[in-house]
Amino acid sequence: MTIRNKAAIVGIGQTEFSKDSGRSTLRMALEAILQALDDAGLKPQDVDGVVKMSANNDIFEIDLLRSLNLSNLRFFHEIPHGGGAACGTIAGAVAAIASGMADVVVTFRSLNERSERRFGQSTVGGGVGGWGQDKIPHGLVTPAQWIAIFGQRYLHEYGHTTEEFGRVSVLCRKHAATNPHAMMYERPITLEDHQNSRWITEPLRLFDCCLDTDGACAAIVVSAEKAKQLKGTPAYIAAAAQGTGSRTEMMTSYQRKSLARLEEAEATAAELYRTAELEPQQIDVAEIYDHFTPMVLMALEAYGFAEPGQSPHLFREGRLELDGDLPLNTHGGHLGEGYLHGFGHIVEGVRQIRGSAVNQVEDAKTCLVTSGTGVPTSAIILSKEAY
Amino acid sequence: MAEFPRPSPLPDRDTAPFWEAQNNHELKFQRCTGCETVRYPVGPLCPECHSFDFEWITSSGRGTIYSYTIVRHQTHPAFAPPYTVLLVEMEEGPRIIAQLQASEDARFAIDTPVHIEWEDHPGQALPVFVLDS
Repeated sequence: MTIRNKAAIVGIGQTEFSKDSGRSTLRMALEAILQALDDAGLKPQDVDGVVKMSANNDIFEIDLLRSLNLSNLRFFHEIPHGGGAACGTIAGAVAAIASGMADVVVTFRSLNERSERRFGQSTVGGGVGGWGQDKIPHGLVTPAQWIAIFGQRYLHEYGHTTEEFGRVSVLCRKHAATNPHAMMYERPITLEDHQNSRWITEPLRLFDCCLDTDGACAAIVVSAEKAKQLKGTPAYIAAAAQGTGSRTEMMTSYQRKSLARLEEAEATAAELYRTAELEPQQIDVAEIYDHFTPMVLMALEAYGFAEPGQSPHLFREGRLELDGDLPLNTHGGHLGEGYLHGFGHIVEGVRQIRGSAVNQVEDAKTCLVTSGTGVPTSAIILSKEAY
Repeated sequence: MAEFPRPSPLPDRDTAPFWEAQNNHELKFQRCTGCETVRYPVGPLCPECHSFDFEWITSSGRGTIYSYTIVRHQTHPAFAPPYTVLLVEMEEGPRIIAQLQASEDARFAIDTPVHIEWEDHPGQALPVFVLDS
């Protein structure tokens, strides 16, 4: 039994990305879902499954169901671990479809992360329970600060400077600059701009941190057989996987052996390539989750594109540019297009496979899409052919 | 303007002894009585051998800097930058988070030896690290 190419993404939807959407996350989710269903040639009454990220805790599933009048659902699940869940929703949809528990599954992410609660700001007061109780009282409060601890180890262990972080940002901003949907459209930066940007939490500067964004994305997953009956070009799901590492904490897994590697991404990669029966060298495009630049470097290593500590060479050698052998974050990613918790990466991956992206990679047959790191994570490989 | 209170730990049934010990200016870790693994953060089960049986041990308070971040952008009203948060590998093995208390021109790096001193906050004492002289 394998899930390889048993399902496909047949519809995608996306609102504008902005600093202030002017409307609720529920409304934006509905707009993106209806757009994705229309893109697929399906109607809300065709939907029999919903897989939601638990981080969408401001959208009650009951409101989504009532709004779309989803009276035919057979499968409704929720994936934990924040941005690590994005491709996990696709994995859940594939599992449901491959096992016959659903035929048409909706996945989505909707955020007013700029105009409402910004993840980079905290006003937590009083008592802090749970996993944060031994970190937040010491002033280690935000994701950037938690990840800076990993970034510092990465620089230390491999002898790199923060210029290597900067190259990630410069590349994402370059791709965003030619993407009209991107918040940083026509606003590329240089390595000097990166080095001159203000410190947020050393060794991370402003341009090492993802954008704050309002917006929503949705994707519709159906069986491979059903995909053939629909109007559009399917993006077959060659593999979908989730993974964990040792001594896991919420972006603060500081007890594990190495803080310069991503155990959960390594585990996810192994499962992904085994399922897809592909090698990293056979990936044509990579949409890698970029909340903070050091994690992109570590993710490229975890997914097999470079040895530990060696991914900066991929940037220096131009291999991740649109005309390189592994174009990276072709839409601009979280650093350039906007922060949709990994869902913008999924939507862009589908476009690359369809051949309809604004920064289209010539003859893209396979696309790796990865989700949030520093937490239990997930990833998918999309394919033009159902091989 | 009234000072915004620093968020304080909210002990639960597993972590209460850890925080009570800190109010006595002691850093305590759990040691599994099955396999002798010293574990942290505090939890009911040994992640190595899955035994519920453990004893509390008292840390020497000494360790070396494993990683750190210098916070330069304010993200919380109770914490005014700049300040340095250390991840210190303690002699007993676990790595813990606490702020560095040092002059602004103090020199430190990964592997620099440090030791704990205690700061009493309303309701809860917390460790800070000081560079060994």
